[in-house]
Amino acid sequence: MASLLASLLAGLLADPLLYARALHFAATMLVAGVVLFAVLVAAPAWRGAAGNRAVAMNVRTRLAVIAWIGLALAAISGAAWLILTAAAMSGSPAARVFGDGVLWTVLSQTTFGRAWLIRFVLACALAATLPALLSRRDRKSTWLEITAAVLAAAFAGALAWSGHAAGGLGGEAILHPAADVLHLVAAAAWVGALLPLIVLFAAAGADDASLAMARTATVRFSILGIVSVGTLLATGIVNTFYLAGSVPALLHTEYGRLLLIKIVLFLAMVAIAAINRVRLTPQLLQQASIAASRGALRRLRRNAAIEALAGAAVIAIVAALGTMAPAIHAAHQHPTYGAVPADAAFVHIHLVEGMADVTIRPGRAGRAGATIRLWDEDFEALEARQVSMTLTAPGATGNPTSLPARQRRDGAWQVDDIELSQPGNWTVTVDVVLDRTKRLTLTAPIVIEP
Amino acid sequence: MRKFFLVVSLCLIPLAPVAARAHAFLDHASPLVGSTVPAAPHDVVLTFTQNLEPAFSTAQVTDSSGARVDQGKAQVSGNTMTVGLKSIGPGSYKVHWHALSVDTHSTEGTFTFHVGGH
Repeated sequence: MASLLASLLAGLLADPLLYARALHFAATMLVAGVVLFAVLVAAPAWRGAAGNRAVAMNVRTRLAVIAWIGLALAAISGAAWLILTAAAMSGSPAARVFGDGVLWTVLSQTTFGRAWLIRFVLACALAATLPALLSRRDRKSTWLEITAAVLAAAFAGALAWSGHAAGGLGGEAILHPAADVLHLVAAAAWVGALLPLIVLFAAAGADDASLAMARTATVRFSILGIVSVGTLLATGIVNTFYLAGSVPALLHTEYGRLLLIKIVLFLAMVAIAAINRVRLTPQLLQQASIAASRGALRRLRRNAAIEALAGAAVIAIVAALGTMAPAIHAAHQHPTYGAVPADAAFVHIHLVEGMADVTIRPGRAGRAGATIRLWDEDFEALEARQVSMTLTAPGATGNPTSLPARQRRDGAWQVDDIELSQPGNWTVTVDVVLDRTKRLTLTAPIVIEP
Repeated sequence: MRKFFLVVSLCLIPLAPVAARAHAFLDHASPLVGSTVPAAPHDVVLTFTQNLEPAFSTAQVTDSSGARVDQGKAQVSGNTMTVGLKSIGPGSYKVHWHALSVDTHSTEGTFTFHVGGH
Protein backbone atom coordinates (compact mmCIF):
# COMPACT_ATOMS: atom_id res chain seq x y z
CA MET A 1 0.00 0.00 0.00
CA ALA A 2 2.82 2.40 0.91
CA SER A 3 4.56 1.70 -2.38
CA LEU A 4 1.30 2.27 -4.25
CA LEU A 5 0.84 5.67 -2.61
CA ALA A 6 4.49 6.54 -3.24
CA SER A 7 4.25 5.67 -6.91
CA LEU A 8 0.96 7.58 -7.15
CA LEU A 9 2.64 10.62 -5.60
CA ALA A 10 5.60 10.31 -7.95
CA GLY A 11 3.19 10.04 -10.89
CA LEU A 12 1.34 13.15 -9.72
CA LEU A 13 4.52 15.17 -9.53
CA ALA A 14 5.72 13.96 -12.90
CA ASP A 15 2.51 14.43 -14.84
CA PRO A 16 0.89 17.87 -15.20
CA LEU A 17 -2.04 16.19 -16.99
CA LEU A 18 -3.03 14.65 -13.65
CA TYR A 19 -3.36 18.08 -12.02
CA ALA A 20 -5.36 19.42 -14.95
CA ARG A 21 -7.68 16.40 -14.89
CA ALA A 22 -8.17 16.47 -11.10
CA LEU A 23 -8.86 20.21 -11.07
CA HIS A 24 -11.20 19.95 -14.05
CA PHE A 25 -13.19 17.07 -12.57
CA ALA A 26 -13.50 18.91 -9.24
CA ALA A 27 -14.46 22.24 -10.84
CA THR A 28 -16.98 20.58 -13.19
CA MET A 29 -18.57 18.64 -10.31
CA LEU A 30 -18.75 21.87 -8.30
CA VAL A 31 -20.37 24.03 -11.04
CA ALA A 32 -22.87 21.35 -11.98
CA GLY A 33 -23.41 20.56 -8.29
CA VAL A 34 -24.22 24.18 -7.39
CA VAL A 35 -26.74 24.51 -10.22
CA LEU A 36 -28.41 21.14 -9.54
CA PHE A 37 -28.46 21.98 -5.82
CA ALA A 38 -29.99 25.42 -6.47
CA VAL A 39 -32.75 23.95 -8.67
CA LEU A 40 -33.51 20.63 -6.94
CA VAL A 41 -32.74 21.36 -3.27
CA ALA A 42 -32.45 25.05 -2.48
CA ALA A 43 -35.32 26.53 -4.53
CA PRO A 44 -38.03 24.77 -2.45
CA ALA A 45 -36.00 25.48 0.70
CA TRP A 46 -35.87 29.20 -0.11
CA ARG A 47 -39.61 29.22 -0.50
CA GLY A 48 -39.72 27.63 2.98
CA ALA A 49 -37.65 30.52 4.33
CA ALA A 50 -40.20 33.08 3.18
CA GLY A 51 -40.20 34.57 6.69
CA ASN A 52 -36.51 35.42 6.35
CA ARG A 53 -35.67 36.65 2.84
CA ALA A 54 -32.24 37.87 3.94
CA VAL A 55 -30.96 34.36 4.71
CA ALA A 56 -32.12 33.00 1.33
CA MET A 57 -30.47 35.89 -0.49
CA ASN A 58 -27.31 35.40 1.53
CA VAL A 59 -27.13 31.73 0.47
CA ARG A 60 -27.85 32.58 -3.19
CA THR A 61 -25.08 35.18 -3.25
CA ARG A 62 -22.55 32.70 -1.84
CA LEU A 63 -23.65 29.96 -4.27
CA ALA A 64 -23.19 32.43 -7.13
CA VAL A 65 -19.62 33.12 -5.98
CA ILE A 66 -18.86 29.38 -5.78
CA ALA A 67 -20.43 28.77 -9.22
CA TRP A 68 -18.38 31.52 -10.90
CA ILE A 69 -15.13 30.40 -9.26
CA GLY A 70 -15.90 26.81 -10.28
CA LEU A 71 -16.66 27.85 -13.86
CA ALA A 72 -13.44 29.87 -14.10
CA LEU A 73 -11.39 26.95 -12.71
CA ALA A 74 -13.14 24.57 -15.10
CA ALA A 75 -12.26 26.83 -18.04
CA ILE A 76 -8.58 27.13 -17.05
CA SER A 77 -8.08 23.45 -16.23
CA GLY A 78 -10.11 22.40 -19.29
CA ALA A 79 -7.84 24.47 -21.53
CA ALA A 80 -4.74 22.97 -19.88
CA TRP A 81 -6.14 19.43 -20.32
CA LEU A 82 -6.89 20.13 -23.99
CA ILE A 83 -3.39 21.49 -24.68
CA LEU A 84 -1.65 18.62 -22.87
CA THR A 85 -3.81 16.04 -24.66
CA ALA A 86 -3.25 17.69 -28.05
CA ALA A 87 0.49 17.59 -27.35
CA ALA A 88 0.34 13.91 -26.40
CA MET A 89 -1.82 13.05 -29.44
CA SER A 90 0.45 14.79 -31.94
CA GLY A 91 3.72 13.91 -30.21
CA SER A 92 4.82 17.56 -30.23
CA PRO A 93 5.65 19.67 -27.16
CA ALA A 94 2.77 21.58 -25.51
CA ALA A 95 4.10 24.95 -26.72
CA ARG A 96 3.91 23.75 -30.34
CA VAL A 97 0.25 22.70 -30.47
CA PHE A 98 -0.89 26.26 -31.26
CA GLY A 99 1.14 26.28 -34.45
CA ASP A 100 0.87 23.64 -37.17
CA GLY A 101 -2.93 23.53 -36.77
CA VAL A 102 -2.60 20.73 -34.22
CA LEU A 103 -5.10 22.26 -31.80
CA TRP A 104 -7.71 22.74 -34.50
CA THR A 105 -7.16 19.21 -35.82
CA VAL A 106 -7.73 17.85 -32.31
CA LEU A 107 -10.84 20.01 -31.77
CA SER A 108 -12.43 19.27 -35.13
CA GLN A 109 -11.35 15.71 -35.87
CA THR A 110 -11.12 13.76 -32.62
CA THR A 111 -13.80 12.51 -30.25
CA PHE A 112 -12.04 14.20 -27.34
CA GLY A 113 -11.81 17.53 -29.20
CA ARG A 114 -15.45 17.51 -30.30
CA ALA A 115 -16.50 16.74 -26.72
CA TRP A 116 -14.44 19.74 -25.60
CA LEU A 117 -16.06 22.06 -28.18
CA ILE A 118 -19.54 20.92 -27.13
CA ARG A 119 -18.67 21.33 -23.44
CA PHE A 120 -17.31 24.82 -24.14
CA VAL A 121 -20.65 25.80 -25.70
CA LEU A 122 -22.51 24.18 -22.77
CA ALA A 123 -20.34 26.09 -20.28
CA CYS A 124 -21.08 29.40 -22.05
CA ALA A 125 -24.82 28.67 -22.06
CA LEU A 126 -24.66 27.65 -18.40
CA ALA A 127 -22.81 30.87 -17.56
CA ALA A 128 -25.63 32.81 -19.26
CA THR A 129 -28.22 31.24 -16.95
CA LEU A 130 -26.24 31.81 -13.73
CA PRO A 131 -26.97 35.53 -13.15
CA ALA A 132 -30.74 34.98 -13.34
CA LEU A 133 -30.69 31.64 -11.52
CA LEU A 134 -28.74 32.94 -8.54
CA SER A 135 -30.03 36.52 -8.56
CA ARG A 136 -31.52 38.12 -5.43
CA ARG A 137 -35.04 37.69 -6.81
CA ASP A 138 -37.06 35.06 -4.97
CA ARG A 139 -39.17 33.62 -7.76
CA LYS A 140 -37.47 32.02 -10.74
CA SER A 141 -39.14 30.84 -13.91
CA THR A 142 -39.51 27.08 -14.12
CA TRP A 143 -38.08 27.14 -17.64
CA LEU A 144 -34.94 28.86 -16.41
CA GLU A 145 -34.51 26.24 -13.68
CA ILE A 146 -35.02 23.31 -16.07
CA THR A 147 -32.69 24.82 -18.69
CA ALA A 148 -29.93 25.45 -16.12
CA ALA A 149 -30.25 21.95 -14.62
CA VAL A 150 -30.12 20.27 -18.06
CA LEU A 151 -27.11 22.36 -19.11
CA ALA A 152 -25.31 21.57 -15.85
CA ALA A 153 -26.00 17.84 -16.21
CA ALA A 154 -24.84 17.88 -19.85
CA PHE A 155 -21.67 19.82 -18.96
CA ALA A 156 -20.73 17.18 -16.38
CA GLY A 157 -22.01 14.16 -18.34
CA ALA A 158 -20.15 15.04 -21.56
CA LEU A 159 -16.89 14.45 -19.65
CA ALA A 160 -17.56 10.78 -20.41
CA TRP A 161 -16.13 11.30 -23.90
CA SER A 162 -12.79 12.45 -22.51
CA GLY A 163 -11.76 9.05 -21.25
CA HIS A 164 -11.85 5.31 -21.32
CA ALA A 165 -15.62 5.09 -21.86
CA ALA A 166 -15.27 6.53 -25.37
CA GLY A 167 -13.33 3.73 -26.97
CA GLY A 168 -15.51 0.64 -26.95
CA LEU A 169 -16.75 -1.44 -29.86
CA GLY A 170 -20.13 -3.13 -30.32
CA GLY A 171 -22.48 -3.06 -27.32
CA GLU A 172 -19.80 -1.45 -25.17
CA ALA A 173 -19.81 1.59 -27.50
CA ILE A 174 -23.33 2.44 -26.29
CA LEU A 175 -23.56 0.99 -22.78
CA HIS A 176 -20.21 2.19 -21.42
CA PRO A 177 -20.56 5.91 -22.33
CA ALA A 178 -24.24 5.86 -21.24
CA ALA A 179 -23.26 4.47 -17.84
CA ASP A 180 -20.40 6.96 -17.56
CA VAL A 181 -22.67 9.95 -18.35
CA LEU A 182 -25.13 8.91 -15.64
CA HIS A 183 -22.23 8.25 -13.25
CA LEU A 184 -20.84 11.76 -13.77
CA VAL A 185 -24.23 13.49 -13.45
CA ALA A 186 -25.03 11.54 -10.27
CA ALA A 187 -21.59 12.36 -8.84
CA ALA A 188 -22.15 16.06 -9.57
CA ALA A 189 -25.63 15.99 -8.00
CA TRP A 190 -24.28 14.42 -4.81
CA VAL A 191 -20.57 15.24 -4.33
CA GLY A 192 -20.74 18.58 -6.16
CA ALA A 193 -23.76 19.63 -4.08
CA LEU A 194 -22.07 18.97 -0.71
CA LEU A 195 -20.28 22.33 -0.59
CA PRO A 196 -23.51 24.26 -1.44
CA LEU A 197 -25.26 22.21 1.27
CA ILE A 198 -22.58 23.19 3.81
CA VAL A 199 -23.00 26.85 2.80
CA LEU A 200 -26.76 26.61 3.31
CA PHE A 201 -26.36 24.89 6.70
CA ALA A 202 -23.82 27.53 7.77
CA ALA A 203 -26.30 30.32 7.01
CA ALA A 204 -29.19 28.63 8.86
CA GLY A 205 -29.95 28.14 12.55
CA ALA A 206 -30.42 31.67 13.82
CA ASP A 207 -34.24 31.69 13.66
CA ASP A 208 -37.24 29.50 12.85
CA ALA A 209 -37.44 30.63 9.22
CA SER A 210 -33.82 29.69 8.51
CA LEU A 211 -34.25 26.39 10.38
CA ALA A 212 -37.27 25.68 8.17
CA MET A 213 -35.07 26.34 5.14
CA ALA A 214 -32.44 23.90 6.46
CA ARG A 215 -35.13 21.24 7.13
CA THR A 216 -36.56 21.44 3.61
CA ALA A 217 -33.04 21.38 2.13
CA THR A 218 -32.08 18.34 4.23
CA VAL A 219 -35.14 16.37 3.14
CA ARG A 220 -34.69 17.28 -0.53
CA PHE A 221 -30.95 16.57 -0.43
CA SER A 222 -31.65 13.23 1.20
CA ILE A 223 -33.87 12.19 -1.74
CA LEU A 224 -31.31 13.50 -4.25
CA GLY A 225 -28.60 11.59 -2.36
CA ILE A 226 -30.45 8.27 -2.46
CA VAL A 227 -31.14 8.59 -6.20
CA SER A 228 -27.50 9.59 -6.82
CA VAL A 229 -26.01 6.78 -4.73
CA GLY A 230 -28.23 4.21 -6.46
CA THR A 231 -27.19 5.56 -9.87
CA LEU A 232 -23.50 5.69 -8.90
CA LEU A 233 -23.63 2.09 -7.70
CA ALA A 234 -25.38 0.72 -10.80
CA THR A 235 -23.27 2.66 -13.30
CA GLY A 236 -20.09 2.07 -11.29
CA ILE A 237 -20.71 -1.66 -11.65
CA VAL A 238 -20.99 -1.29 -15.45
CA ASN A 239 -17.78 0.77 -15.60
CA THR A 240 -15.85 -1.67 -13.41
CA PHE A 241 -17.08 -4.50 -15.63
CA TYR A 242 -15.55 -2.81 -18.69
CA LEU A 243 -12.37 -1.45 -17.13
CA ALA A 244 -11.28 -4.06 -14.60
CA GLY A 245 -13.10 -7.17 -15.70
CA SER A 246 -11.88 -9.67 -13.12
CA VAL A 247 -10.95 -10.10 -9.46
CA PRO A 248 -7.23 -10.73 -10.15
CA ALA A 249 -7.15 -7.61 -12.32
CA LEU A 250 -8.57 -5.60 -9.41
CA LEU A 251 -6.19 -7.06 -6.85
CA HIS A 252 -2.95 -7.31 -8.77
CA THR A 253 -2.78 -4.17 -10.87
CA GLU A 254 -2.15 -0.62 -9.72
CA TYR A 255 -5.30 0.44 -11.59
CA GLY A 256 -7.37 -2.18 -9.81
CA ARG A 257 -6.03 -1.32 -6.37
CA LEU A 258 -6.69 2.39 -6.87
CA LEU A 259 -10.20 1.53 -8.03
CA LEU A 260 -10.66 -0.51 -4.82
CA ILE A 261 -9.56 2.48 -2.71
CA LYS A 262 -12.11 4.57 -4.60
CA ILE A 263 -14.86 2.02 -3.88
CA VAL A 264 -13.92 1.96 -0.17
CA LEU A 265 -14.07 5.78 0.00
CA PHE A 266 -17.45 5.68 -1.76
CA LEU A 267 -18.77 3.15 0.77
CA ALA A 268 -17.50 5.34 3.64
CA MET A 269 -19.39 8.30 2.14
CA VAL A 270 -22.52 6.17 1.82
CA ALA A 271 -22.16 5.09 5.46
CA ILE A 272 -21.96 8.74 6.63
CA ALA A 273 -24.96 9.60 4.43
CA ALA A 274 -26.87 6.72 6.03
CA ILE A 275 -26.13 8.08 9.54
CA ASN A 276 -27.34 11.51 8.39
CA ARG A 277 -30.57 10.07 7.09
CA VAL A 278 -31.37 7.58 9.85
CA ARG A 279 -30.26 9.56 12.93
CA LEU A 280 -29.58 13.25 12.32
CA THR A 281 -32.36 14.14 9.87
CA PRO A 282 -35.15 12.98 12.24
CA GLN A 283 -33.52 15.02 15.06
CA LEU A 284 -33.53 18.11 12.84
CA LEU A 285 -37.12 17.54 11.75
CA GLN A 286 -38.57 16.88 15.24
CA GLN A 287 -38.51 20.59 16.07
CA ALA A 288 -38.49 19.66 19.81
CA SER A 289 -36.31 22.61 20.65
CA ILE A 290 -34.22 25.11 18.72
CA ALA A 291 -31.14 23.92 20.61
CA ALA A 292 -31.67 20.26 19.58
CA SER A 293 -32.27 21.30 15.96
CA ARG A 294 -29.13 23.43 15.98
CA GLY A 295 -27.11 20.51 17.39
CA ALA A 296 -28.36 18.20 14.63
CA LEU A 297 -27.65 20.91 12.04
CA ARG A 298 -24.08 21.29 13.30
CA ARG A 299 -23.44 17.55 13.08
CA LEU A 300 -25.02 17.36 9.61
CA ARG A 301 -22.73 20.17 8.50
CA ARG A 302 -19.65 18.42 9.91
CA ASN A 303 -20.62 15.14 8.23
CA ALA A 304 -21.20 16.91 4.91
CA ALA A 305 -17.69 18.36 5.21
CA ILE A 306 -16.22 14.88 5.84
CA GLU A 307 -18.15 13.53 2.84
CA ALA A 308 -16.90 16.41 0.69
CA LEU A 309 -13.28 15.64 1.67
CA ALA A 310 -13.75 11.96 0.81
CA GLY A 311 -15.39 13.09 -2.45
CA ALA A 312 -12.33 15.23 -3.26
CA ALA A 313 -10.10 12.19 -2.69
CA VAL A 314 -12.34 10.15 -5.02
CA ILE A 315 -12.02 12.84 -7.70
CA ALA A 316 -8.21 12.79 -7.37
CA ILE A 317 -8.25 9.01 -7.82
CA VAL A 318 -10.55 9.32 -10.85
CA ALA A 319 -8.11 11.81 -12.38
CA ALA A 320 -5.25 9.34 -11.89
CA LEU A 321 -7.21 6.33 -13.15
CA GLY A 322 -7.96 8.06 -16.44
CA THR A 323 -4.26 8.40 -17.23
CA MET A 324 -3.50 4.75 -16.41
CA ALA A 325 -4.03 1.70 -18.53
CA PRO A 326 -7.19 -0.04 -17.28
CA ALA A 327 -6.63 -3.24 -15.33
CA ILE A 328 -8.36 -5.18 -18.08
CA HIS A 329 -5.21 -4.87 -20.24
CA ALA A 330 -3.05 -6.69 -17.76
CA ALA A 331 -5.28 -9.72 -17.89
CA HIS A 332 -6.46 -9.82 -21.47
CA GLN A 333 -4.15 -7.89 -23.75
CA HIS A 334 -0.77 -8.26 -25.36
CA PRO A 335 1.08 -5.75 -23.19
CA THR A 336 4.17 -5.99 -25.36
CA TYR A 337 2.29 -4.74 -28.42
CA GLY A 338 1.90 -1.41 -26.70
CA ALA A 339 5.49 -1.13 -25.59
CA VAL A 340 7.87 -2.49 -28.19
CA PRO A 341 10.96 -0.28 -27.89
CA ALA A 342 11.97 1.41 -31.13
CA ASP A 343 15.35 -0.32 -31.21
CA ALA A 344 13.97 -3.82 -30.66
CA ALA A 345 13.14 -6.65 -33.01
CA PHE A 346 9.79 -8.14 -32.11
CA VAL A 347 7.78 -11.12 -33.26
CA HIS A 348 4.50 -12.57 -32.09
CA ILE A 349 4.35 -16.34 -32.60
CA HIS A 350 0.87 -17.76 -32.53
CA LEU A 351 -0.15 -21.42 -32.26
CA VAL A 352 -3.42 -22.91 -31.04
CA GLU A 353 -1.74 -24.32 -27.91
CA GLY A 354 -0.16 -21.03 -26.96
CA MET A 355 1.74 -18.01 -28.14
CA ALA A 356 4.95 -16.18 -27.47
CA ASP A 357 6.01 -12.55 -27.84
CA VAL A 358 9.74 -12.43 -28.46
CA THR A 359 11.52 -9.08 -28.11
CA ILE A 360 15.23 -8.94 -28.97
CA ARG A 361 16.90 -5.75 -27.88
CA PRO A 362 18.76 -4.12 -29.49
CA GLY A 363 17.41 -5.71 -32.65
CA ARG A 364 20.61 -5.30 -34.64
CA ALA A 365 23.83 -7.23 -35.23
CA GLY A 366 25.97 -7.46 -32.11
CA ARG A 367 25.29 -8.30 -28.49
CA ALA A 368 21.64 -8.37 -27.36
CA GLY A 369 19.17 -9.70 -24.83
CA ALA A 370 15.80 -11.30 -25.40
CA THR A 371 12.51 -11.22 -23.50
CA ILE A 372 9.91 -13.93 -24.04
CA ARG A 373 6.32 -13.63 -22.84
CA LEU A 374 4.06 -16.64 -23.06
CA TRP A 375 0.29 -16.60 -23.39
CA ASP A 376 -2.44 -19.17 -23.75
CA GLU A 377 -5.17 -18.77 -26.38
CA ASP A 378 -7.15 -16.46 -24.05
CA PHE A 379 -4.16 -14.14 -23.61
CA GLU A 380 -3.75 -15.30 -20.02
CA ALA A 381 -0.15 -15.74 -18.92
CA LEU A 382 1.00 -19.28 -19.73
CA GLU A 383 2.75 -21.14 -16.91
CA ALA A 384 5.93 -22.89 -17.99
CA ARG A 385 8.51 -25.00 -16.16
CA GLN A 386 11.40 -24.30 -18.46
CA VAL A 387 11.99 -22.14 -21.52
CA SER A 388 14.84 -22.08 -23.97
CA MET A 389 15.45 -20.12 -27.16
CA THR A 390 17.33 -20.96 -30.32
CA LEU A 391 18.43 -18.35 -32.85
CA THR A 392 19.45 -19.52 -36.32
CA ALA A 393 21.45 -17.10 -38.47
CA PRO A 394 20.37 -16.49 -42.11
CA GLY A 395 21.69 -19.29 -44.31
CA ALA A 396 23.23 -21.16 -41.37
CA THR A 397 23.82 -24.86 -41.89
CA GLY A 398 25.18 -26.24 -38.60
CA ASN A 399 23.25 -26.89 -35.41
CA PRO A 400 22.61 -23.64 -33.53
CA THR A 401 23.01 -23.74 -29.78
CA SER A 402 20.00 -23.52 -27.54
CA LEU A 403 20.10 -20.74 -24.89
CA PRO A 404 18.34 -21.29 -21.54
CA ALA A 405 15.94 -18.58 -20.33
CA ARG A 406 15.46 -17.60 -16.70
CA GLN A 407 12.10 -16.44 -15.37
CA ARG A 408 11.95 -12.85 -14.12
CA ARG A 409 9.83 -11.66 -11.22
CA ASP A 410 7.22 -10.20 -13.62
CA GLY A 411 6.71 -13.65 -15.16
CA ALA A 412 8.52 -12.97 -18.43
CA TRP A 413 11.49 -15.12 -19.49
CA GLN A 414 14.85 -13.52 -20.11
CA VAL A 415 17.84 -14.60 -22.24
CA ASP A 416 21.06 -12.59 -21.85
CA ASP A 417 24.29 -12.37 -23.85
CA ILE A 418 23.04 -13.31 -27.29
CA GLU A 419 25.59 -12.88 -30.06
CA LEU A 420 23.91 -11.77 -33.30
CA SER A 421 26.71 -12.34 -35.82
CA GLN A 422 25.03 -10.69 -38.82
CA PRO A 423 21.95 -8.76 -39.93
CA GLY A 424 19.18 -10.39 -41.94
CA ASN A 425 16.30 -12.77 -41.60
CA TRP A 426 17.00 -14.96 -38.55
CA THR A 427 14.84 -17.75 -37.24
CA VAL A 428 13.84 -17.82 -33.60
CA THR A 429 12.60 -21.00 -31.95
CA VAL A 430 11.12 -20.95 -28.46
CA ASP A 431 11.02 -24.30 -26.67
CA VAL A 432 8.60 -24.39 -23.76
CA VAL A 433 8.34 -27.21 -21.23
CA LEU A 434 4.79 -26.94 -19.88
CA ASP A 435 4.82 -30.04 -17.68
CA ARG A 436 6.33 -33.55 -17.66
CA THR A 437 4.53 -34.61 -20.81
CA LYS A 438 3.70 -31.40 -22.66
CA ARG A 439 6.08 -29.30 -24.68
CA LEU A 440 5.46 -26.43 -27.03
CA THR A 441 7.77 -25.35 -29.85
CA LEU A 442 7.18 -22.00 -31.51
CA THR A 443 9.21 -20.93 -34.53
CA ALA A 444 9.16 -17.70 -36.54
CA PRO A 445 11.44 -15.51 -38.60
CA ILE A 446 12.72 -12.30 -37.02
CA VAL A 447 14.51 -9.46 -38.79
CA ILE A 448 17.80 -8.26 -37.34
CA GLU A 449 18.87 -4.82 -38.57
CA PRO A 450 22.45 -4.05 -39.62
CA MET B 1 -26.23 -3.35 8.75
CA ARG B 2 -28.15 -5.55 6.34
CA LYS B 3 -28.24 -2.64 3.93
CA PHE B 4 -24.47 -2.31 4.22
CA PHE B 5 -23.88 -5.94 3.28
CA LEU B 6 -26.32 -5.59 0.41
CA VAL B 7 -24.28 -2.65 -0.89
CA VAL B 8 -21.00 -4.55 -0.46
CA SER B 9 -22.31 -7.64 -2.24
CA LEU B 10 -23.71 -5.50 -5.05
CA CYS B 11 -20.24 -4.03 -5.47
CA LEU B 12 -18.81 -7.52 -5.89
CA ILE B 13 -21.10 -8.47 -8.76
CA PRO B 14 -18.91 -6.90 -11.47
CA LEU B 15 -15.89 -8.82 -10.34
CA ALA B 16 -16.86 -11.93 -12.29
CA PRO B 17 -14.34 -12.44 -15.09
CA VAL B 18 -15.30 -11.15 -18.51
CA ALA B 19 -13.38 -10.81 -21.72
CA ALA B 20 -13.94 -7.14 -22.45
CA ARG B 21 -11.26 -4.88 -23.89
CA ALA B 22 -10.16 -1.27 -23.73
CA HIS B 23 -7.46 0.85 -25.40
CA ALA B 24 -6.45 0.31 -29.00
CA PHE B 25 -4.22 -2.71 -29.28
CA LEU B 26 -3.51 -4.64 -32.43
CA ASP B 27 -6.02 -7.46 -32.58
CA HIS B 28 -4.89 -8.98 -35.85
CA ALA B 29 -3.29 -7.98 -39.12
CA SER B 30 -3.31 -9.00 -42.76
CA PRO B 31 -0.75 -10.31 -43.62
CA LEU B 32 -0.72 -12.05 -40.24
CA VAL B 33 1.89 -10.95 -37.70
CA GLY B 34 5.12 -12.88 -38.35
CA SER B 35 3.64 -14.80 -41.28
CA THR B 36 5.08 -15.64 -44.68
CA VAL B 37 2.80 -14.96 -47.64
CA PRO B 38 3.50 -16.44 -51.10
CA ALA B 39 2.64 -13.32 -53.12
CA ALA B 40 3.16 -9.64 -52.38
CA PRO B 41 0.03 -8.05 -50.86
CA HIS B 42 -1.35 -4.75 -52.19
CA ASP B 43 -1.93 -3.41 -48.72
CA VAL B 44 -1.52 -4.09 -45.01
CA VAL B 45 -4.74 -4.12 -42.99
CA LEU B 46 -4.48 -3.69 -39.22
CA THR B 47 -7.48 -4.40 -37.00
CA PHE B 48 -7.48 -2.92 -33.50
CA THR B 49 -9.44 -3.57 -30.32
CA GLN B 50 -10.91 -0.04 -30.33
CA ASN B 51 -11.94 2.67 -32.73
CA LEU B 52 -9.10 4.93 -33.84
CA GLU B 53 -8.70 8.66 -34.43
CA PRO B 54 -7.86 8.96 -38.16
CA ALA B 55 -6.04 12.28 -37.68
CA PHE B 56 -3.33 10.79 -35.45
CA SER B 57 -3.09 7.10 -36.40
CA THR B 58 -0.33 6.02 -38.77
CA ALA B 59 1.35 2.94 -40.16
CA GLN B 60 4.65 2.65 -42.00
CA VAL B 61 6.01 -0.35 -43.82
CA THR B 62 9.73 -0.70 -44.48
CA ASP B 63 11.84 -3.33 -46.21
CA SER B 64 14.92 -4.93 -44.66
CA SER B 65 17.09 -2.00 -45.79
CA GLY B 66 14.81 0.43 -43.98
CA ALA B 67 13.28 2.01 -47.12
CA ARG B 68 9.60 2.92 -47.01
CA VAL B 69 7.45 0.68 -49.19
CA ASP B 70 4.02 2.02 -48.14
CA GLN B 71 2.04 4.57 -50.12
CA GLY B 72 1.87 7.18 -47.38
CA LYS B 73 -1.15 8.08 -45.29
CA ALA B 74 -3.02 5.13 -43.85
CA GLN B 75 -6.81 4.99 -44.28
CA VAL B 76 -8.63 4.62 -40.99
CA SER B 77 -12.19 3.38 -40.73
CA GLY B 78 -13.57 2.53 -37.32
CA ASN B 79 -11.10 0.10 -35.79
CA THR B 80 -9.23 -0.84 -38.97
CA MET B 81 -6.26 0.89 -40.55
CA THR B 82 -5.27 0.15 -44.15
CA VAL B 83 -2.01 1.25 -45.71
CA GLY B 84 -1.34 0.64 -49.42
CA LEU B 85 1.94 -0.89 -50.54
CA LYS B 86 4.17 -0.16 -53.52
CA SER B 87 4.91 -3.21 -55.63
CA ILE B 88 7.31 -5.21 -53.50
CA GLY B 89 9.33 -8.32 -54.12
CA PRO B 90 10.25 -11.25 -51.89
CA GLY B 91 11.81 -10.31 -48.57
CA SER B 92 11.05 -9.29 -45.00
CA TYR B 93 8.97 -6.25 -44.21
CA LYS B 94 8.51 -4.39 -40.96
CA VAL B 95 5.21 -2.72 -40.08
CA HIS B 96 5.42 0.07 -37.51
CA TRP B 97 1.99 1.24 -36.37
CA HIS B 98 0.97 4.10 -34.15
CA ALA B 99 -2.65 4.08 -33.02
CA LEU B 100 -4.50 6.84 -31.19
CA SER B 101 -7.64 5.41 -29.65
CA VAL B 102 -10.75 7.57 -29.35
CA ASP B 103 -10.18 7.43 -25.57
CA THR B 104 -7.09 9.67 -26.22
CA HIS B 105 -4.46 7.05 -25.40
CA SER B 106 -1.88 6.10 -27.98
CA THR B 107 -0.18 2.78 -28.46
CA GLU B 108 2.41 1.63 -30.93
CA GLY B 109 4.13 -1.50 -32.02
CA THR B 110 5.97 -3.27 -34.79
CA PHE B 111 5.80 -6.63 -36.43
CA THR B 112 7.28 -8.27 -39.48
CA PHE B 113 5.88 -10.32 -42.31
CA HIS B 114 7.61 -12.05 -45.16
CA VAL B 115 6.93 -12.31 -48.87
CA GLY B 116 8.11 -15.15 -51.04
CA GLY B 117 8.93 -18.77 -50.80
CA HIS B 118 11.99 -18.88 -48.61
